[in-house]
Amino acid sequence: MAVDIVDWILVIIGQILIAIGIICDFIAAILMIRFPNFYVRLHALTIGSIGGAVVPLIGAVFIVLGAEYLGIYRFFLAGGAITTAIFVFILGAIGSHAIARAAHKSKSAILTPCYVDHLSEDRGEGECRQG
Amino acid sequence: MDIESLVTSFLVICMPIYITSFLLYLVRLIKGPTLPDRVIATDALGFDLAAFFVILSILFRSPILIACAIVLSLWIFALDIYVAKYLESRELGE
Repeated sequence: MAVDIVDWILVIIGQILIAIGIICDFIAAILMIRFPNFYVRLHALTIGSIGGAVVPLIGAVFIVLGAEYLGIYRFFLAGGAITTAIFVFILGAIGSHAIARAAHKSKSAILTPCYVDHLSEDRGEGECRQG
Repeated sequence: MDIESLVTSFLVICMPIYITSFLLYLVRLIKGPTLPDRVIATDALGFDLAAFFVILSILFRSPILIACAIVLSLWIFALDIYVAKYLESRELGE
């Protein structure tokens, strides 16, 4: 039947997206441990928020639209999941930029292996300030 | 094999990987040397917890959990902006 095939295609696309998201999430968790300082850990944060949260949420939308055994409330679940995906996609990027700017301006992040810091040179605060 | 058993078994397999990454984020959250490190660990933990709630609501078949995910992602953004404002101007907004 045609409807059955569409359901299977939606569920398999959703499972592939959730698998990609889980791999990104695990890599981001390892990198959050392994990276040396705050400014490099921002990279792990954005892997974990965009790759590890937005992609599985869109995959969950596909799974929910394909799985008919969830009942009529699955459309409520799909709408909430796509709303959460849009929120995380916009607010995660804004939040990481805001916290990076505040940490550099207030000198509260430790920059341990420091090779170059052009922003503090331009502000006349020395080459590699610590603490 | 029907869709229900396929989805359920796939999501059950996904659970331990998610929980392992949550434990790794918790290590950075406890160990983090400065305040911004702890804040970004909380960020990543919260956004992934929102995705985890959606997957749990598919697994438990209870769509009411989706409200927790929306509110959690908004609160994590509020934490970001609040800590950034505190670090920049050394005052709590009024």
